Amino acid sequence: MLQIKNLSKCFEDLEVLKDVNLSVAKGEVVVIIGPSGSGKSTLLRCVNLLETPTGGEILYQGEDITHLGKKVTDYRKQVGMVFQRFNLFPLKNALENVMYAPVKLNKIPVKDAKEQAMDLLKKVGLENRAHAYPSALSGGQQQRVAIARALAMKPEILLFDEPTSALDPELVGDVLEVMKQLAKEGMTMIVVTHEMGFAKDVADRVIFMDGGFVIEEGAPQDIFKSPKNERTRTFLSRVL
Amino acid sequence: MELNFGKAINTLGPSLLGGVGIVLYITLSGFFCALAAALMIAMGRLSKNKVLSRILSVLIELIRGTPLLVQLFYIYYVIPTLLNGILSMAGYETNIQLKASTCGIIGFAVNYGCYMSEVIRSAILAVDSGQREAGLALGFSEAKVMLHFIIPPALRNSVPVFGNYLVMLIKDTSLLAMISVQELLLRTKTYASQTFLTVEAYTLLAVVYLLLSIPLSQMTGILERRLKRMP
Ligand SMILES: Nc1ncnc2c1ncn2[C@@H]1O[C@H](COP(=O)(O)OP(=O)(O)OP(=O)(O)O)[C@@H](O)[C@H]1O
Ligand SMILES: [Mg+2]
Repeated sequence: MLQIKNLSKCFEDLEVLKDVNLSVAKGEVVVIIGPSGSGKSTLLRCVNLLETPTGGEILYQGEDITHLGKKVTDYRKQVGMVFQRFNLFPLKNALENVMYAPVKLNKIPVKDAKEQAMDLLKKVGLENRAHAYPSALSGGQQQRVAIARALAMKPEILLFDEPTSALDPELVGDVLEVMKQLAKEGMTMIVVTHEMGFAKDVADRVIFMDGGFVIEEGAPQDIFKSPKNERTRTFLSRVL
Repeated sequence: MELNFGKAINTLGPSLLGGVGIVLYITLSGFFCALAAALMIAMGRLSKNKVLSRILSVLIELIRGTPLLVQLFYIYYVIPTLLNGILSMAGYETNIQLKASTCGIIGFAVNYGCYMSEVIRSAILAVDSGQREAGLALGFSEAKVMLHFIIPPALRNSVPVFGNYLVMLIKDTSLLAMISVQELLLRTKTYASQTFLTVEAYTLLAVVYLLLSIPLSQMTGILERRLKRMP
């Protein structure tokens, strides 16, 4: 579904991604791990073109999406993103956050969009908080609203950039639970996370990145039990 | 010294009431034109078009570097003269004149527009960049992100400052006396020179201004507190 080929990204003269190759099949859950500054977020942001790659290509359903011009918005509708800091719209309540994009971008009638949004809020366990504003929600609740908001556009792929890193430890579980459920339902997901438990249980494949390179990739049991690369071993010994 | 406030209130009062209508008309139209101008200038300043942005920042420097009164004179006297001159060189004899109150509205729109554009611009820059990214990630274009997710919170955060500008604008309408708009100051000045009730007339004038501006700044305060309590 998604193929990343020889992807590179520079910020001025800082080369953050170097020759990254990665492919993601439909329904697959890929978890990206690696030390801070290794380029995980940048890779994810290149996938939905929040950053413009400097070189290489990204094929989505066989077509290169790095030179889409104005059509980039159509592509982004198919790629949802969940941010570390939730980024909910603060002047809209939970329900409005979820239904806003379908109404404005896909011209879905408000009544239908509302129903769909309520269903999604139910799915993330927040139907009773539908009319609460983000400022009145806990971090974990905000993040679940953000997931519902991304789902409302019916994306083909969901990108998660450290979705639980800004949460108090006791709130992490609810968010991971929702993500596990999505994985079970067959959603294609690329997840950057430091939750190694989630990676072990849910990932089909784990990618270890360091210094802008994909150092190692494989099934979770292989990566966690018998990492081949020295750097992977060092990293895992620090986080496990 | 004998003061006769009764007479001043009875004779100058009705005339000032008429002036209040003009002042409110110019204040409100000037303010809303300024708001629209401010939004456009702010967007232009933030646009990727370097030339546009540069031109607008020069305009802002020009406006901020000259007194409002001079700008009003310029619009009232100089611009029509220039226009007539240019048109006569092109072979058209014209006698374009601008209504003084219209010049006032234009002057306020430009002057306050420039000042308020800087308020809007910094409010736009202060909106968390995560809002833009969230909007883009959902599939909104850059322009729609601006419209739906950046400008509304930016304007909302500017409301208290706009309130202050509105109060300043109402007081600045007194400058229009200099270009013959029959606003409050001009009416008072004429009255005082005819009746020699100088103390009474100007005191009354000051009171009328206070009656206009105090409720307005109170309202701004209330609005500001309301907005703070809302999400
Ligand atoms: N917009 C930018 N401009 C300049 N440098 C950037 C920018 N974004 C990221 N970088 C740099 O790119 C490198 C990789 O950043 P990135 O955010 O992708 O790392 P990360 O793996 O997500 O790290 P973390 O675990 O801390 O989130 C860092 O050195 C960072 O300073
Ligand atoms: Mg990151």
